[in-house]
Amino acid sequence: MKYVIIGNGVAGIHAAETLRQFDPPGEITMISDEALQPYCRPMISMVLEGSVATEKLPIRPVSFYDDLNITPALGSRVSAVDVDNRTVSVSGKCYPYDRLLIASGADPRRIKADGLGLRNIFFMRTAAHVRQMLAVLPDVRKALVLGGGLVGFKAAYGLVRRGIPVSMLIRSGHPLSMQVDAEAGRMITDELKAHGLDVRVGAEAAAFEGNGRVAAARLFDGTRLSCDMVVIGKGVFPARRFVPKDKIKVDAGIVVDEHMQTSAPGVFAAGDVAESTDIARRTPWVNAIWPEAVAQGRIAGMNMAGHPAAYPGSLSRNVIRIFGLDVMTAGLAAPPEAEGFETLSVTDTRARTYRKLVFRGDRLVGMVLVNSIEQGGVLTALIQSATPVRPPREALLKPGFNFRQLMPA
Amino acid sequence: MKEVIVHPERCVGCMQCMPACAAAHSQSKNLFQASLEIPRPRPRVHVGVGLFNEGFPNRCRHCDPAPCLLACLPGAIARSAERNTVFIDPNRCINCASCAMACPFGVIRYHEDHTAPPGKTVAVKCDNCYERQLAGLIPACVEVCKSGALRFEERSEAMKRKTDEVARTVSVGAAPVELAPGFALLNAMKRKQIDLAR
Repeated sequence: MKYVIIGNGVAGIHAAETLRQFDPPGEITMISDEALQPYCRPMISMVLEGSVATEKLPIRPVSFYDDLNITPALGSRVSAVDVDNRTVSVSGKCYPYDRLLIASGADPRRIKADGLGLRNIFFMRTAAHVRQMLAVLPDVRKALVLGGGLVGFKAAYGLVRRGIPVSMLIRSGHPLSMQVDAEAGRMITDELKAHGLDVRVGAEAAAFEGNGRVAAARLFDGTRLSCDMVVIGKGVFPARRFVPKDKIKVDAGIVVDEHMQTSAPGVFAAGDVAESTDIARRTPWVNAIWPEAVAQGRIAGMNMAGHPAAYPGSLSRNVIRIFGLDVMTAGLAAPPEAEGFETLSVTDTRARTYRKLVFRGDRLVGMVLVNSIEQGGVLTALIQSATPVRPPREALLKPGFNFRQLMPA
Repeated sequence: MKEVIVHPERCVGCMQCMPACAAAHSQSKNLFQASLEIPRPRPRVHVGVGLFNEGFPNRCRHCDPAPCLLACLPGAIARSAERNTVFIDPNRCINCASCAMACPFGVIRYHEDHTAPPGKTVAVKCDNCYERQLAGLIPACVEVCKSGALRFEERSEAMKRKTDEVARTVSVGAAPVELAPGFALLNAMKRKQIDLAR
């Protein structure tokens, strides 16, 4: 059996390892434009922050490809997939496949503004991006971060921790609007403001100015902000330009079924590029997060090797530690109003904790925890397994909540 | 291979497993000296209370596949097949709490530990008393448990005993089997009190 895996991110490597486990003699080719050994993408923001050394990024040894007898094809992006003839084209070469996994991940969402060609304007998606940022950091006096999403936030946090004054421009009313609810968003913003971050909501950059190197940004409202570094963190978009849309069903991401298979037989997708059913939302959704990429890569690998395995669907979730705050969210953190959701929450200002649970009927579908997050996994598992919540729901909000309370008395 | 098996119906919530665990993972391995150590040794088994104040020793299940291992960003969590144990490497851990979000049992804690670099907060959980087992000892929580809620035994034996217990209760004319004599009464009284208080 000939397997081709597009992408050497975490979905790709878990798929490769699973394939090896279930099909030892199979031929595996792995294609990626990143020529590094497999590394941990979420940790690049910690490299920017300085809490993790660059050498700690790899999550597999240099000998990863040799150890698993994988043929690597690194350094270029896939140009085309021919579903009828079952081939993948990369920089003039053609790789035939019996089973294909598209785990090409996602790319930073581009923005429209003048002067984007100036130096010191960065995306933060790859280890290379952070390396470039670190190279210019000693000369940076003032930084500007566009976007209040996870990437923008982590970039701002990293730079603040480096002692660089940061202004953050966000379009929505509070940062991390896709991850947390307004209350947690406010707590995070206060924490960062207390450490010197300048947050501007409802603001967007129209143009960048400078002589070769960025020196200022002009906002839509006419404000001019001087800065010598810009990080664009306006989210990511599935990297699926090479996918033939007439042959493989594509929505926001590549649509997969419960076996991670696309609409084309023999072609699978996993990770940030795949669109699966969201357990809490009950709609197709791209949940571009690490734990889902791992799970999807494994499930895809098993199915590709002919070992049927079903994927229950994905669930958005995140955990962030920002100075003195730990924030964990899962599922529908901020459910749409008046759609039959019930919300319970409790705030303890002295202990600086906030807990919020969102129910649909007797099922938990969302949660937000600020501080004392140790039991968050139990709640996340309740959402994932769609377990009816029997005990008094208020018990789940109490600080003493633990696994025992979910067991029959 | 023997492993720690939890029998929740026998737990009386005495919490003796907690200090025993903390001491077993201290530098001195002695409860009294351990209480003076910095960083302070902390338990990796957590007795939680149920809705009726009944106890439950919550410890790592060493799942396979382990959700924490799969969620770990820096690759600090690994499984030792030979010991049937999931370990966290404190030197690789980056304290990101991804494992807290993944653990369906909520058994991972974050604090300093003498096995970690000084001053660094790391994820800490049960290691099945790896060091003690190497020295020929059984896990500390089991050694100290008086009620039989924590036992170090073969899984097949525990399952056989459990099956027998269930079988006895369904025999014709069977009397209810007292699993934890005395404590069942105590638990029933506690439950009554809580019911009344409501």
